[in-house]
Amino acid sequence: MKLIKKAQAGSFESSDILILASPVEEGEGRDIQIESGVFMQYGETIEKLIHQVLDQFEVNDVQLQIHDKGAIEPVILARMETVMQRALEMQKGTMY
Amino acid sequence: MNFEDTDFRYEYLDVENPYDVKLVSNFLKENGYDYLSEAIDSTVILYNLNDELIGTGSYKNQTLKYVVVADKFRETTAFPLIVSYLSDKILADNKRCFVFTKPETSVLFEGLGFKEITRAEPLFSVLEFGYESIKTYQKNLLKRKVETKTDDVATIVVNCNPFTLGHQYLIEKAAAENEIVYLFVVEEDLSAFPFEVRLKMIKEGIAHLDNVVIIGTGPYIVSGAIFPNYFLKLESWNLISEKQAEVDVKIFAQYIVPTLGIKKRYVGTEHYCRTTRAYNEAMKKILPAVGCEVYEVDRKTIGMVTEGENKNCISASKVRLAMKEGRFNDIQDFIPEVTKKFLLSEESADIWERLKFVD
Repeated sequence: MKLIKKAQAGSFESSDILILASPVEEGEGRDIQIESGVFMQYGETIEKLIHQVLDQFEVNDVQLQIHDKGAIEPVILARMETVMQRALEMQKGTMY
Repeated sequence: MNFEDTDFRYEYLDVENPYDVKLVSNFLKENGYDYLSEAIDSTVILYNLNDELIGTGSYKNQTLKYVVVADKFRETTAFPLIVSYLSDKILADNKRCFVFTKPETSVLFEGLGFKEITRAEPLFSVLEFGYESIKTYQKNLLKRKVETKTDDVATIVVNCNPFTLGHQYLIEKAAAENEIVYLFVVEEDLSAFPFEVRLKMIKEGIAHLDNVVIIGTGPYIVSGAIFPNYFLKLESWNLISEKQAEVDVKIFAQYIVPTLGIKKRYVGTEHYCRTTRAYNEAMKKILPAVGCEVYEVDRKTIGMVTEGENKNCISASKVRLAMKEGRFNDIQDFIPEVTKKFLLSEESADIWERLKFVD
């Protein structure tokens, strides 16, 4: 699917992860920048989870900026899902 | 971001309410800041459930301001809460958000994922965060870059408020002396003439030059975010303006000069405006160190006197003053056909109107 608008989810708080997603031209691929205090230990896991959700939403062209503050797996998945739903304008029934 | 499931509650500051304003300004004063309620769009105040004031933060356009947390609550999550809340708001409408802070506190923002762009000791450090960064801007610059055979690569930064024969003269001179000229046009809409109009006048005015590349400055050169005092044209030059000018020139030196391989920057001599004159001084101090020479070109003059106090230099501010006082005939010699045409057209009616009310 193609991203409709830029969106963000998460916060700067400890144990959370902030994800900014913005649309790019078709065919540019996934540009993912991850910053994390535990990148050495969990960088690969985080990346894997991000790709997993992108696959799930069938998003191939996207720019993601990720600022992790030690979020656990379910948090990463939840934030990713939310940011995708917002960017794809699939989310209903919230303030956004 | 919401505060529902935290130990805090928040309130917006009502700028009309003197009690609220006093509360925040006292709080900020204790922490060494002077609060100017005119210089912000919105302020959020954080309390805990005992109604103690924990901290506050504000923003103006895309810049975070006055983010302060009381001493005894610094161990809590109050600071990231305030910053997430405000940056959320800013990023809903903007692609990036800036922070101006003291150099010693810049590390706190870096901890949250902000990136320092540059600093001017001992007053400012500028950081940014968001969907786009200065790297995106550099990438876009690279797309516009023209390969050259010689080292004669020049640049001019103009506001053109409005476009005068002086601007045209400076650009023509640079174009004649160099292989390529990058012409940066200030994108910020804080001037009397909107960006679209200025850009159109410039494009038409230099259509005969084929080695000039016109580029928008984005928020990084002479913008309301980086150099707010430029647009205030304060008579009194102070340390704050000086440091803002320094930040602006440093960003130019660190990010734009190397990206485009710029060797020269052309500026007009300044006789009237102290802000611009000091800006020129800052350039002369910083740019030569990164291999970019500053060429100060004498302003184009009108009339017989070309030397001394009485010479009649072309200046956009003189044009605006004449417009304000309705003396259109006095400035005929200052502006090229394209500007004249625009000023006589219907489109410029609201600009004439607006100029009447500015000081």
